[in-house]
Amino acid sequence: MSQLDIVGKSFPQIAAREKATGETKFVTDLVLPRMLCGQVLRSPYPHAKIISIDTAKAAALPGVKAVVTFQDTPKIKFGPRSEDWTIFASDKTRFHGDEVAAVAAVDADIAEQALELIRVEYKELPYIISPLDAMKQGAPLVHEDKPGNIGAEFKVEAGDVDRAMDDSYVVYEDHFYTNQVYQAYMEPMSALADVDLSGRVSIWTGTQIPNMMRMTYAKALGMSPDNLRIVVPEYGGAFGGKMENNIHLIAAVLAQKSGRPVKLVNTRHDDFLAGNPRVPMHFDIKIGATQDGILTAKDVKVVGAAGARLVYSQVIVATACYRVDSLYRLKNVRAKGYTVYTNSVPTACFRGFGNSQSTFVLESALDELAIQLKIDPAELRIKNGMGSNETSVHGWKIGSSGLRECVTKASKAANWSQKKNNKTPFKGIGLACCNHVSGNRPFAREFDGGSGIVRVGKDGRITVFHGESDMGQGQNTTFAQIVAERLGVTMDMVNVAQVDTDISPFGLGSFATRGTLMGGNGVLAAAKDAYDQMADIAADMLNTKAADVACRKAMFFSKSSSETKISFQDIASEATIRHHGAPIVGTGFYKPPTELPDPDTKKGNISPAYPFGCQIAEVEVDPDTGQVSVTNFVAAHDVGRAINPMATVGQIQGGIAQGLGWTLMENMAYEDGKMINADFVDYIVPSCFDIPDIKAILVEPIEPNGPYGAKGIGEPALNPTMAAITNAIYDATGVRIKELPVNPQKLLAQIQKLGKHVKE
Amino acid sequence: MKHVRIHLVVNGEDYSLFITPNRVLLDVLREDLELTGTKEGCGLGKCGACTVLLDGRPVHACLTLALQADGCQITTIEGIGEKEVHPLQEAFIDKGAIQCGFCTPGMINTAKALLDANANPSEDEIKQAIAGNLCRCTGYNKIVDAIHSCGCQSEKEKGEVR
Ligand code: FES
Ligand code: FES
Repeated sequence: MSQLDIVGKSFPQIAAREKATGETKFVTDLVLPRMLCGQVLRSPYPHAKIISIDTAKAAALPGVKAVVTFQDTPKIKFGPRSEDWTIFASDKTRFHGDEVAAVAAVDADIAEQALELIRVEYKELPYIISPLDAMKQGAPLVHEDKPGNIGAEFKVEAGDVDRAMDDSYVVYEDHFYTNQVYQAYMEPMSALADVDLSGRVSIWTGTQIPNMMRMTYAKALGMSPDNLRIVVPEYGGAFGGKMENNIHLIAAVLAQKSGRPVKLVNTRHDDFLAGNPRVPMHFDIKIGATQDGILTAKDVKVVGAAGARLVYSQVIVATACYRVDSLYRLKNVRAKGYTVYTNSVPTACFRGFGNSQSTFVLESALDELAIQLKIDPAELRIKNGMGSNETSVHGWKIGSSGLRECVTKASKAANWSQKKNNKTPFKGIGLACCNHVSGNRPFAREFDGGSGIVRVGKDGRITVFHGESDMGQGQNTTFAQIVAERLGVTMDMVNVAQVDTDISPFGLGSFATRGTLMGGNGVLAAAKDAYDQMADIAADMLNTKAADVACRKAMFFSKSSSETKISFQDIASEATIRHHGAPIVGTGFYKPPTELPDPDTKKGNISPAYPFGCQIAEVEVDPDTGQVSVTNFVAAHDVGRAINPMATVGQIQGGIAQGLGWTLMENMAYEDGKMINADFVDYIVPSCFDIPDIKAILVEPIEPNGPYGAKGIGEPALNPTMAAITNAIYDATGVRIKELPVNPQKLLAQIQKLGKHVKE
Repeated sequence: MKHVRIHLVVNGEDYSLFITPNRVLLDVLREDLELTGTKEGCGLGKCGACTVLLDGRPVHACLTLALQADGCQITTIEGIGEKEVHPLQEAFIDKGAIQCGFCTPGMINTAKALLDANANPSEDEIKQAIAGNLCRCTGYNKIVDAIHSCGCQSEKEKGEVR
């Protein structure tokens, strides 16, 4: 690759200045004339029959412009994957927080008063929170038409698991549990909806999937998709949590009924109650290895709690069943997954998408195998790790793999061997690896690639249009760098348009760590198209052939005689004049070389590139309280190529902070079927004191399918964190953590039960 | 509810407002003065997104009644850098301390109060100051780094920070 001017350099986010000065307009900051304030009445019970709803008093309150319930909606069942949603509860509520009614009023005080005036008569029903209980015979049914509360089942098998297990020198078998945690993006979910005279609905919201959301919502609202427009302003974080959610639709229904714009912002409490937190999962794992540490077989059963409706939990459970199989050279694998309805908040995507849950389990199990086999855990990973150009048991074609390099570089930076062998009571070091994807072929069945539009105006100003979503991770900056590099211009010339489904390409969105690779390749293709159009004109003006033309630092020149140069702006202006005002518009798309998995065997190739990583945590356990603190952290990640190293390191540090919170602090707790810690008073996320120095190491094997060699980093940043920490806890105390989050009292009791500290 | 008259000096500008006494400063700033740079992340004093400076002290605008601020000088993120962006803002931008940016206004205000009181804070003092400001995106490393780089320590020390 020729020398890169922009890609590979650390630029601040293109929106950083606006963000630092308070100029950025987030979703919650938007205002339209005559805008109303929307608020939602939610079910106080986990499971209750709705006998009656009386909204008359609320509707009569001065200042109230609309009161809506199920009766005011099109009563259509819908859902992103499984059509078990309605905009409001109809005959019964299915979780504490379920949507029952909503109001729109001229201000928040009146809206709040109106909610209090709505009379709902409920009859409480028996409820079920644990997915294991929900599967039992006679358990209350969340949906009457779903026997056994089974929302979905998943099965995969390859090789001969039983035989390989029998032939194994060691077998480890255990039960693990990963709990329900909340994304805790700092800006709560919110939506602003407006309806025009023709009935066309516009929704401004922070969403990772504007185009797919539009299709789902059009169905819910009983309208054709072209009558619905989704606009994505800047928004305050998502981490998987901001996909489809009823509050957007409620804002739309309130706007329809009132004829005025309605802004609905979740209180933090409501966001906890009715957001879409992580899928809690029970795992039974059995895994074998030969005497010299070659993995032989893996067998898992996963039971995940969907909550009261399926959002994406069934796909997440499926992911937990088998994605991690492509981390190592496994040949014999079997998994069975159950996604089970419960009377709790619907669960969905959170950084890692099921692979984080199963990585915690697998990497804990690998640590146990290493102990039994007396092999260094790092060595065990290196022995089994997937290498470049290998094909995994499920047919995944690993282009580049920097896994082994990640392990060696992280080990060296963390001083692994020395610290591992040098035993200090209640201090430990732990290591874990991960794989992931950069795009997920089966997530949207029609296609999985990316696309872009690059417009060059008469003044040479460049605007990039994409249909993905910058949730704060810096995607727009990455795209701007890719486009600037391809066009040969400077960063200040590139602008990235806000995603608007009326204008932007139909991007699938930001999930599955796909933005950089899929969206990046999409805008790269569009930039190439724009460049070629400009190069033709430049060639004409420079009296040479297009192939002889190049552009660097916004100057076109002939490669053969670099004497004359013409500025990018002059070419842009000339192009617009020659085309009677038409700007240069480059469009392009990227079609990845993926294969949809076979419905039965699940064989396929779900991503054009697979990122890998290795993280090492050091912990100290307080012998009196069982409190764990993470004292040092090293993370080496195979990112293909870091388009923007500073942003990439930021992703790694942020992912680890979230993983640390999950491991040691965070848990959505239920009592009597109700969430009891639904705010930041009782649900504590990490503060700066909880997060150690995180040393991030970028391993860059240059991925052939990536834009300028890049893969994704969003989710792998968190996948190994939990096991790295709990493996370190084992090293410090001899206690194997099998349930997240780590409970200090339980840990202390187990330490005492062990009698003596293993390291002494 | 009966309205009351209050006077605020926000970012150097005088405002005379007629409000109900139950309104919090956060809402008055965001809705009445349209200064939306100050954010609401929890409404309960637990995230720091709403931090503004009240007579130079960092306060949670979500827990402060506008009435309590009557006659006070208030600085919001919009008023931090007088004409240019403030060096703290510059540092946050350059060091990658901003991802989604929703915590940034509160974080910068808290840091500003710290640096005004202690021009050269240690890493621990920085953490003490921002412990009540949540950031879910960055993992804090780069935020601490950005604030540290603004302390008036020698260039050599600057180079040593992470
Ligand atoms: S909004 Fe004031 S502290 Fe969270
Ligand atoms: S940058 Fe997103 S919360 Fe701090």
